Amino acid sequence: MTVVPSRRPVLEVRDLRKQFVLHHLGGRHVTALDGVDLDVAKGEHVALVGTSGAGKSSLLRCVWRSYLPSSGSVVLRRTDGTSVDLATLDDTTLADVREHEIGYVSQFLRREARRTAVEVVRGSARRRGVLDQAAAGDLAVEALGRVALPAELWNTYPVLLSGGEQQRINLAAGTVAPPRLLLLDEPVASLDPANRGAVLELIARLRDSGVAVLSVFHDLDAVRQLADRVVRLERGRVVAVGPPEVVLTAAGVAS
Amino acid sequence: MSLLDELVGEPEPTFAHLDESSKREIRRALLSAVAIPGYQVPFGSREMPVARGWGSGGLQITLAVIGPDDVVKVIDQGDDAGVNAANLRRLVVASTGVTETTDSREATIVQTRHRVPEDPMSPGQVLVLQVPVPEPLRGVERDVRELRRMHAEGDYARMWVSLYEDLVRNGVITRTTGYPCLVGGRYVMATTPIPRWDVPRLHQAEHLSLFGAGREKRVYAVPPHTDVEPLTFTDVPFEVERTEGARCWRCGSAASYLVEIPGRDRWVCSDTDWCGRRIDGR
Amino acid sequence: MGADWALRVDHLGRTFGRPGPRAEAIVAASDVSFSVAAGEALGIIGESGSGKTTVLRCIAGDEHSSSGSVWLRALDGGETDLVRLAPSQRRALRIDRLAMVYQDPAQGLRLDVTAGGNIAERLTAAGWRNFGQIRQRAAELLARVEVPLGRMDDLVRTFSGGMRQRVQLAAALALRPPVVLLDEPTTGLDASVAAGVLDLIRDLLEEWGLAAVVVSHDMAVIELLTRRCLVMHQGRVVEAGLTDQLLEDPQHAYTQRLVAAARG
Repeated sequence: MTVVPSRRPVLEVRDLRKQFVLHHLGGRHVTALDGVDLDVAKGEHVALVGTSGAGKSSLLRCVWRSYLPSSGSVVLRRTDGTSVDLATLDDTTLADVREHEIGYVSQFLRREARRTAVEVVRGSARRRGVLDQAAAGDLAVEALGRVALPAELWNTYPVLLSGGEQQRINLAAGTVAPPRLLLLDEPVASLDPANRGAVLELIARLRDSGVAVLSVFHDLDAVRQLADRVVRLERGRVVAVGPPEVVLTAAGVAS
Repeated sequence: MSLLDELVGEPEPTFAHLDESSKREIRRALLSAVAIPGYQVPFGSREMPVARGWGSGGLQITLAVIGPDDVVKVIDQGDDAGVNAANLRRLVVASTGVTETTDSREATIVQTRHRVPEDPMSPGQVLVLQVPVPEPLRGVERDVRELRRMHAEGDYARMWVSLYEDLVRNGVITRTTGYPCLVGGRYVMATTPIPRWDVPRLHQAEHLSLFGAGREKRVYAVPPHTDVEPLTFTDVPFEVERTEGARCWRCGSAASYLVEIPGRDRWVCSDTDWCGRRIDGR
Repeated sequence: MGADWALRVDHLGRTFGRPGPRAEAIVAASDVSFSVAAGEALGIIGESGSGKTTVLRCIAGDEHSSSGSVWLRALDGGETDLVRLAPSQRRALRIDRLAMVYQDPAQGLRLDVTAGGNIAERLTAAGWRNFGQIRQRAAELLARVEVPLGRMDDLVRTFSGGMRQRVQLAAALALRPPVVLLDEPTTGLDASVAAGVLDLIRDLLEEWGLAAVVVSHDMAVIELLTRRCLVMHQGRVVEAGLTDQLLEDPQHAYTQRLVAAARG
């Protein structure tokens, strides 16, 4: 499959492969990604589509590095212009890169126990580099407002809230200070229509302001609305790349 | 004469009760003690004609350092006439033939339990103190190796904690005798059993102070012009005993260390000789 | 390894006994290397007998390592190997440069001394001599670890396990050591009590930017407190990585077993 090179990619994934070795099953191999190439440019929204098990979430996790890529490269061009291969970066630097440059929003993200919504988002702001407690607090409040989380929930532990509310808190934490690269794994899956609209708008605004976005959406309307390019995965490989209207209609994509 | 007799030689008459090699060993220990102010030097404590706990340590020091021209004073609780002081003095004088006195200004060696004489002592005088418990950390630690380590490393945190706890529990540091002091900025020493009143008088003194613990087999020393600083917090000044309005009923002094006469509601000077001289105008 | 580490451990090992025809040497820990930066918490996870506590004790100086070296940025800029120091010099580090929080608070506290007194011990060891200031600092620390002020003058022996652990934290951190070692800090505490103590530890680590090594067999503790983690098994490090990556994508067979067991 030809890769359409984007100008100045923020994220450059080359020949990414991921296999799981299940030792308790006698060392059985399960392939999640089988050689993926992908670029995301600054201010570009790339959406991943495909059937479940195609490798979409695995790809995001390989970029975030909660999965260890088996081989291939995941090069991020940082805000300061330097490039790092996230696949092979040492843990300490990777942890720093994550905190400063990447936002990761997933409904499966393990959340910090016994921290209120505003504390979670504020913590994220501080890790992003906003060290002043008050300033981080202000940004947290703004971010929670943007995802339309009602103020009366701000001092509640997320675990006590609905799936949609937790999702929005995750989103607020991931976007409290605009990251260089935003990874979104089903960001609107649990939201009702009103909140869904607000979140989609937020994502579009972030993209417009220069954030590179790589997303997984179950919801194809959202993809049509937001994505600049769509990448379709099948069994861990890229099978189609192009604008949404081309890729989504091409093979009668069903979820 | 047998070969052995020739080698041993004529037995010398024993001056000061102890044989020369014993005295030399004690003096060597004392030299170490003087060289390391406040540090407890072990020595081979001999059997003495006084029972352990009755000043055998102080006695051995006195007998080791005394010479025929010395003048000796012995006090117990400041009083020359007490039974123990009298016994010790008799022993020293009988085995040495030295002159005895009750006037601390005339003595070259003052052996004491529980008091430093009221008259400040001068260079060339030696104060020998009888000490029951030489280890200032005894209340906070039992293990001998740990005690050695604490002194070796100058790690006196446990001592400070016990002072802190005392202060917290009682509002004041309640130690009366044996107040722990830092000597020469290095070792913590027990001043047992002199009262607080006498502790500041060891600091930068003109005289030499030697401490002897017979039962515990330790000697230690404070050479002249050495710092002796009672351990206390910078905001809790070290205070000496004082009773408002108390005066010695015999000589009228309010500036000396006074002891209460039980049942009589009266105070009297602890240093009986000093008190007597004041009355006589000497 | 970053250049801004606060603690560095190189090839640390601890063996009991000598290998020979009759006796077997027991390798408690072998070839353990890692570094921790200021403001970072590193976890060491493993079952009992994995050697994780041995590693901590060797760093702290409670046990003598057989091989390897330990370096503290706070000591000579990281140029002096702790293992080569005399015991008295290592003890001096424990006052204000390296703290250890024990699983059993009784190991890190004097039970027959008051809560405030335990803190006073650390402060006076560092040369504090003003009673008022000592009291004030002790009160501040106890307030920070949420021990009621009214209990400051109670003997630690009268405190419950969770409270004792809080006092141990206050005392261990009294002089803000740049590196703190925590050995199973909440094992043995009731779940709700443990949660409070863990949150306190998490908050203190963040607030004070300490470099920490957290040893636990409990994945939840490691997950809560640490960003990076080592997995130890039979004295060796079998895997190392970001904590979330270790939990989501364990590579080593032993790690996979551990994670599977924890996840139920």
